[in-house]
Order: sequence, then C-alpha cells, then structure tokens
Amino acid sequence: MLEARSRLSRVVLQLVLTVLTVPFLLPLIAMVQGSLAGRGWDNYRIVLAVPQLPYFFRNSAIIATVTIALVYICTITAAFGFSKLRIRGKEFYFWLLLAVLTLPEVVLIAPLFVTATKFNIYNTYWAVILPLAALQIPFTVLLTRTFVDGIPDGIFEAARIDGASTWRGFVYFIVPLTRPIAAAVVVLTLIGSWNSFLLPLIFLQDPNLEVITQLPSYFQGQFNDDQTKVLASAVIGAIPEVVAYLSLQRLFERGLSAGALK
Amino acid sequence: MVSVGIIYYCIGYTGFISTLNWDGVSPDPVHVGMANYSQALSDGLFWATIRHTALFFVVTFGVQSILGIVLAALLHSKVRLGVLYKVVIFIPVVLAPAIMAPVFRQIFSGAGQFNWLLQHIGLGSLAQPWLAQSSTALGVVMFVHIWEWTGMSFILYFSAMGQVDPEVVEAARIDGAGNVRMLVSIILPSILGTVVALAILNLIGALKLFDIPFLLTLGGPNFATEFLGTFIYREIVPLGVLGYGGSLSIILLVLAVGTTLVIRVRGREKGGV
Repeated sequence: MLEARSRLSRVVLQLVLTVLTVPFLLPLIAMVQGSLAGRGWDNYRIVLAVPQLPYFFRNSAIIATVTIALVYICTITAAFGFSKLRIRGKEFYFWLLLAVLTLPEVVLIAPLFVTATKFNIYNTYWAVILPLAALQIPFTVLLTRTFVDGIPDGIFEAARIDGASTWRGFVYFIVPLTRPIAAAVVVLTLIGSWNSFLLPLIFLQDPNLEVITQLPSYFQGQFNDDQTKVLASAVIGAIPEVVAYLSLQRLFERGLSAGALK
Repeated sequence: MVSVGIIYYCIGYTGFISTLNWDGVSPDPVHVGMANYSQALSDGLFWATIRHTALFFVVTFGVQSILGIVLAALLHSKVRLGVLYKVVIFIPVVLAPAIMAPVFRQIFSGAGQFNWLLQHIGLGSLAQPWLAQSSTALGVVMFVHIWEWTGMSFILYFSAMGQVDPEVVEAARIDGAGNVRMLVSIILPSILGTVVALAILNLIGALKLFDIPFLLTLGGPNFATEFLGTFIYREIVPLGVLGYGGSLSIILLVLAVGTTLVIRVRGREKGGV
C-alpha cells in the first residue's frame, strides 16, 4: 500500500512499524521478567506443584473443547441455513440473533443463576459451557454467513441435478469449503472460552472445577499476594493460547480476510 | 436456535426481576413497578458510569482505529518480518484479561516497571501510583483495553485492506498521490464498512466492559473506574439487590441495542455497511 522507493524511506517505514509494535511487547517482557524475580525458576516450580493445577487445565480444556464443538456445529449449520436455504422470515431471525451480540454476560448472571439451579446444572460444566456458546454464536454466525454468501449457489444446483440431497450438499461442499472461516471460529471461540472469567467464577464453586483464569487469584488468596508466583502462573496460563494461535495463525487470517466484516 | 431461546428467556426474566424489590432468596418479592428505574435515573453513580463508558468508547475506539489502520497499511507495504509483527500485535488478544490483570497491576503500581521506565527516560517527576488514585486509574484501564484489543481491530483492517483493488492504488500512484494522500483518499473510503462495523463492536464492548476494570481496580478507587458492567455486578452479586441490578441490566440492554441501530442506520446513509 504505502510506497517506499528509496532505501531511506524503507528504513523509516520499518522504524515506524517497530516503534508502534514495541509497546505491545513490553508488558509481555515485564510479565516474564517479573515471574523470574526473587527466586527465579523456583516460582514456576511452586506454581506447577499446586495440587489443583492439573484440574485447572483439564477443566479449561474440557470447557473450551465442548464449547468449540457446540459453536462450530451451530455456526456452520446456521450460516448455511441463513445463506443458502429458503426459510420464511430468516432475515428476522438473523436480526434476533445479532441483537444477542449486544448482551453482556453480567446482565445474564441473575437469570442464569436461577435457571441453572432450577435445572440442576449449577456447579457443573454445562452451566458455563451453554451460556459461553450462546454468547459466542452470534458473532461467529455473522462472520460465517458472509463467508458462505461468497460460495456460488451454482454448486448446489449442480449437485441437486446430480441427485444430491441438501444434507449431502452441506456435508460435501459447505464443510470442506468453509475450512478457513472454521479456523477463525475455532480461534475466536477458544479465546472466548479459555479466557472466560466471570461465568466460571460464579457457576463453578467446587475448587476441583475451577479453571485456568482463576490460577493467579489462587496465589493472591493463599500466599498473600505473592506477586512473582502470580506472574509465573500468568505465564503458564498464557502458553497454551499462544501455541494454539501460532499453529492456527495462517488459517485464521485467511478465514478472517474471506469473511471480513462488511 | 435453542441457545438464542435461552438468552431471550433470560432477558424476559431480567425484565420481570427489574420490577421487583427482591434479594434473590426471599420467597415473596414485593412488586414495585418502575421504582427501580427512577432510582437509577436519580443515582449519581449511574450517570458517572455512563460518563466513563462514553469517554472510554471515544478514546479506545479512536486510538484503536488509528493504530489499527496505520499498522495494517504499514504491514501491507514492503516491510521485513511482517509475520513477526502481526503475531506480536495479535498475541494480547488471545491472552485472558484475568491472566494479564495482575501483570498490569504490577506494571502500574508505585514501584512498578512503568514508573521505572519514566525515571530512566528523565520523566521521574511524573512517576505516581497510577492505579491507586482516581485521576489516573481510568486512563490505565483504557490503556490496558487498547493494549488487549488493538490486535483485533488491526487484523480486521488488515484483511479489509487486502480487498482493495491493487489497480486503484496503482492508478492513484501514477496520478501522484503520496503516502498520506493514499491512506486518506483511497484506503480509508474502501474500508469504511469495516470502520463502522468496528465502531459498533467497540461500542458494545464499552457497554459490556467488565473483566478489565473488575480485575484491575474493582471499579475503584472511589468509583473512578466504575462501568455499567461492574456496577451491575456489585448490585447483584455482593449486595444482592437483584431488582435494582435487573433494571440496570435492562437499561444497559436498551442502550446497547439502541446505539447499535443508530450507528447502523447512519452508516448506511453514508454509504457504509
């Protein structure tokens, strides 16, 4: 986009970019540096020795996996329906769905709490997974629908003439063709569910059911605000996400550019 | 569809609660009609949260857009190690606010790295306990939010710019457009739709804001960083005033849906969206 013909201006562009990017890096450096302060790697050893740590990871992993699966299935089928099927009043439903985008989870706490106790799912994974998925779906459907709109209708007509049902059209065309946007859906849902703080805080009271975002607060209570271990646990909690993002980064970007908000 | 059903059921239920004077446990709540709403409108704290939210939206959206657009344009140009920069900018988005909050509390504390940095670049006189005084705490909350979410704006602007027709850029270049001119006259109009979409998302984000102020400052000091989200949480969970919290929730919902519609409609008039 921007042009740099001479060597000097190219250096200037690179420099501007670096100056703008460094502030994003500094807090991360501060985090790692702080986590090694005091007793160095021992901080990590102590955090890793927390008896509940495997549970924290397991719970976060379960919640994230089930949420991703739920969101993926609902999103792809809904996007396909909204984009390619003839359903009466579908635009109205689409708007109903988008209105949910504006809902903060705080608003839902009281009614969800009552609902969860009524259905006996309080203190189980479902009390966190269902609302998380429900809050994630509107945005992913919005993204995916734009993407599916870009797939030509002709493919389906051709398939229908060859005798394929709607279901087979869906399985053989939509599922493979939407792989890039699916990566975006997976990454966004992973971020949303792995990072969720309020819902697990309220709905999972059993210490064995707590999730990874509660790890820093574990050290704030137990060891009277032991800053270095809080930071070490922050690093440990951050690693899985960074790895997941890095390994999906290519697909994620391709999906977002194809489904870019318009 | 079922999940949407659950959520609409919740809205209805909240609407019902908002007319009660209920602590959530007592068996027979008193029906008080609209009293909770008039209480909210005469509550100074409520208007303070609205002011914080408005300021927060203007500042964070402005900074994120400018940063996001400039970074995206730079990374579409010929620069080295582009992927590395992209990863660094986006990584904050994947990190949980709950994970990063202790880190920022440390950085901005009296003896934290930020003051250390200030002292070493000769601005030691500006060093102060940033989060512990009401005049600067809101600024820190905004800073942390911008740090977390600029990556998201950036990546969406980046992909929107990828769809700008290279021939248009080429033609403008031949006509003698400089870099700034190019950014303002060619790139900006063609990503206007994304700008409007992000304005909506940011506004919703500002209204929904909970994690960062709750974890950094708990809404304090002296309610300086109280947002609607933390306000509602305080009323419902520690104080147990479900009725009042419910009416605040409904106000929040109306604000969110209303402002979104306004931006959408106005954006469409200007040819965006």
